[in-house]
Amino acid sequence: MIGIAPSSPRRTELGLIVLAVLVTTGAYVLASLGKTASLPANVGPFLIVIVGLLAVAHIALRRLAPAADGVLLPVAGLLNGIGYVFIARLNKDLAGLQAMWTAVGVAAFIATLAIVRRPRDLERYRYTFALIGVGLLLMPLAPGIGRTVNGARLWVRVGPMTFQPGELAKIVLAIFFASYLVEKRALLSRKNLPEGARSMLARARYFGPILLAWGASLVVLVAEKDLGSSLLFFGLFVTMLWVATGWVLYLAAGAGLFGVGAAMSFAAFAHVKERIDVWIDPWSRQSTQGFQILQALFGMGTGGLAGTGLGLGDPQRIPAAETDLIFAAIGEELGLLGTVAILVAFLTTVGVGLRIAVRARSEFEQLLAVGLTTVIGLQAFLIIGGVTRLLPLTGVTLPFVSYGGSSLVANYILLALLLRISDSSAKATA
Amino acid sequence: MTRQIKILAIALMVLYSAVFLKLNQIQVVQAHDLAHDPRNSRVATRDFARPRGVIQTADGIVVAQSTPTDDQLKRLRQYPAGPLYAPVTGYFSFTFGAAGIERDYTDYLSGRNLGSSVKHLSDVFSDKERTGNVTLTIRDAVQRVAAQQLGNRRGAVVAIDPTTGGLIALVNFPTFDPNPLAGHDQKAVRDAWNALEADPAKPRLPRAYREIYAPGSTFKLVTASAALERKPELATKSYPFLRQLDLPHTNNDLPNFGGSSCGGVMPQLLKVSCNTGFAQMGLDLGTDALLGEAEDYGFGSRPPLDLAPGSVASRFPDSSGWLRDDPALAQSAIGQNDVAATPLQMALIAAAIANHGVLMKPHAMGEIRDDEGDVIRRYLPTSWRKPITADVADQLTQMMIGVVQGGTATGLALPGIKVAGKTGTAQTTGKNAHAWIVGFAPADAPKIAVAVIVESQPGLGDVTGGRIAAPIARAVIQAALNAP
Repeated sequence: MIGIAPSSPRRTELGLIVLAVLVTTGAYVLASLGKTASLPANVGPFLIVIVGLLAVAHIALRRLAPAADGVLLPVAGLLNGIGYVFIARLNKDLAGLQAMWTAVGVAAFIATLAIVRRPRDLERYRYTFALIGVGLLLMPLAPGIGRTVNGARLWVRVGPMTFQPGELAKIVLAIFFASYLVEKRALLSRKNLPEGARSMLARARYFGPILLAWGASLVVLVAEKDLGSSLLFFGLFVTMLWVATGWVLYLAAGAGLFGVGAAMSFAAFAHVKERIDVWIDPWSRQSTQGFQILQALFGMGTGGLAGTGLGLGDPQRIPAAETDLIFAAIGEELGLLGTVAILVAFLTTVGVGLRIAVRARSEFEQLLAVGLTTVIGLQAFLIIGGVTRLLPLTGVTLPFVSYGGSSLVANYILLALLLRISDSSAKATA
Repeated sequence: MTRQIKILAIALMVLYSAVFLKLNQIQVVQAHDLAHDPRNSRVATRDFARPRGVIQTADGIVVAQSTPTDDQLKRLRQYPAGPLYAPVTGYFSFTFGAAGIERDYTDYLSGRNLGSSVKHLSDVFSDKERTGNVTLTIRDAVQRVAAQQLGNRRGAVVAIDPTTGGLIALVNFPTFDPNPLAGHDQKAVRDAWNALEADPAKPRLPRAYREIYAPGSTFKLVTASAALERKPELATKSYPFLRQLDLPHTNNDLPNFGGSSCGGVMPQLLKVSCNTGFAQMGLDLGTDALLGEAEDYGFGSRPPLDLAPGSVASRFPDSSGWLRDDPALAQSAIGQNDVAATPLQMALIAAAIANHGVLMKPHAMGEIRDDEGDVIRRYLPTSWRKPITADVADQLTQMMIGVVQGGTATGLALPGIKVAGKTGTAQTTGKNAHAWIVGFAPADAPKIAVAVIVESQPGLGDVTGGRIAAPIARAVIQAALNAP
């Protein structure tokens, strides 16, 4: 079998990994030169770690999913590497932790590939995943272990470890949604709508799931004050529901429910209203709530077309520059060229992910690939849109780029699942 | 399902395109505005934290320098002479920007327009940055004498090299210490600024070139110039001896100070600063001639001056409503009514007479050198105006020598040196008057022209200018001629 699957995706991957390593290492050296006018002392260890981690992931793919797509891993590695360069440039202490989390992420990547040999294995445990997903989602609310950071209760602390269970929840829920919707898609489809059953009650059955997802999203919004995750979960579910059924009414209903939820929370919750107010007019709140987004805009504006140069800007002025607003830091030092490169990297990931979905051999695999791709694509859009004031700023991480262990590990697992689906469909068609 | 996936791909593509457009808006269309937004302190901090050259006097005294600090702003700007050079160097403040030499030559001081410093490959990555050092035309020896002489009396001293326009001394009182404005604790900086703003004496105002005063009898030099240039017959006209001039269209009279009687031809009128004679001369000249002459000397224009925010214009009153022989014309001819001039402008009048009728552009920068000592810019003297002919200038010079030798400006006399001068007293309120003097020396080959004003001194009469302002100007001239 392995012989049949052409080695070309892996060869492509190896070439792209070399490119990603070159770009990242070059950026790392330039950032150090820009900041201190000297070569980084630890460029050797840096090179070994980045080459080592990507090489390990690459070799694991050769063994565990040889026919899988060859673009996703190098693109993720590039995003991870650029993110690391900026984290190291902003905060030396976080850089070491991010390197460690990257290692954990790669380990989780390999473990996922090793454990999930066939995507359909996941389908069997759908209700387990549902339970785990909801559990992870609500975990921060549990007394004793839940932690509130920057006003949002989305952290859990167990012993010395803190993590954001929401990052994992989105993957687990994508798996659950995929298996659930595949099972029910006929039932929820429009062609199944009986001609005579036009009463509200009859329709309720079709709109039950979306209402449930809406309610759960509102719970996350209200109880955890996490606007970003709330939007992400609801968007994910509506997208998957529509892709599964093809019924446009679900999109309309999703939009309507979103509108109602937005209007309600705008009226009822100060933190939501504040986000919207700041989005519409940050200028009159320049030294208070508007400070963060204005610093992001000032940073990107100062960067202009080509940026100030690595290590030569002032991205430390942007609050949360290592995490949620890292995109603005990139915009300041690498300019429009850098931000568009990041945009293209995510667009490539989305494109590859959806191509995997189209080629997947079962409906479950198709829908799961759609869900996983939507998670990454939507999350990146939410935070980049927020940083550029296209959308209100919602606190989610930029996948692979932002500092954060939970986010990195979860995204590497997500990547492994996409590659697993890709491998299985490639083998099937081979 | 494939159809939906393709639509989803397009939808995500549209979302990312929207982000792409928004990024172009931020990083291209609005980039300049965002980068230079006053609330964006990035550019300001970087500029402020740059190395900055020194400002030194022509005789080598450093009056502004930067010393390294540990904080984000990296370097502290210091003014070793405190308030003495404030109207020249100005200040360099993170919160309040800059003024004076600090603002006019900031691109040189910070090295921003010194070009690339890549002389060796290692320079590409070195953080060594070039700076420019500004050498002033001001001479510390003269500046100190001027400040000491003026003391704690409100007023100003402007000394200028008539042949180049280079300022030799520029002092005013009250003044301010620029050091607190350059501090890094911006709350303390704001407090210091607010204290200066609240002070009714306006210490931050460089009154030598940004305040206008009635010039009194020093303006008679303009009236005399107008007669010599425009109606030469008036230069030889003998004016009747009067105690007071009966002003037309009014019951008021224009008296001589102290009720003394004076008259005669122009040199005699100037020597004793005869009000009745010059007022009548003004009426004889007419509005157009007097206004035209004042404008030729620079009234109504802002003199070019490299001390940001620059000089204000001196003023000849609005004559649009005047009659042909309006009383206001008579008063203006002796520097009263609404005539008002900066001390700088009055120094420029003396300088123009000293320089054979050519008025040179005033300036404080002599040359700028890079940190390796190479001259990168040297001030090239240029003329600003030519108010009078060389011949008229020589005639005025002779008359002004007479004023020092036997007139109201004897206080300006120096042994062995011919000094030319003219006093002025401009009544302000009640028995108080601004005491003025303008002059230059040596009269046959002038090296320094000077204007002094001491505000609101008790006592009227031209003796006031001679008594109070002349000793200051005399000491300044002496200091300038002694120390080369």
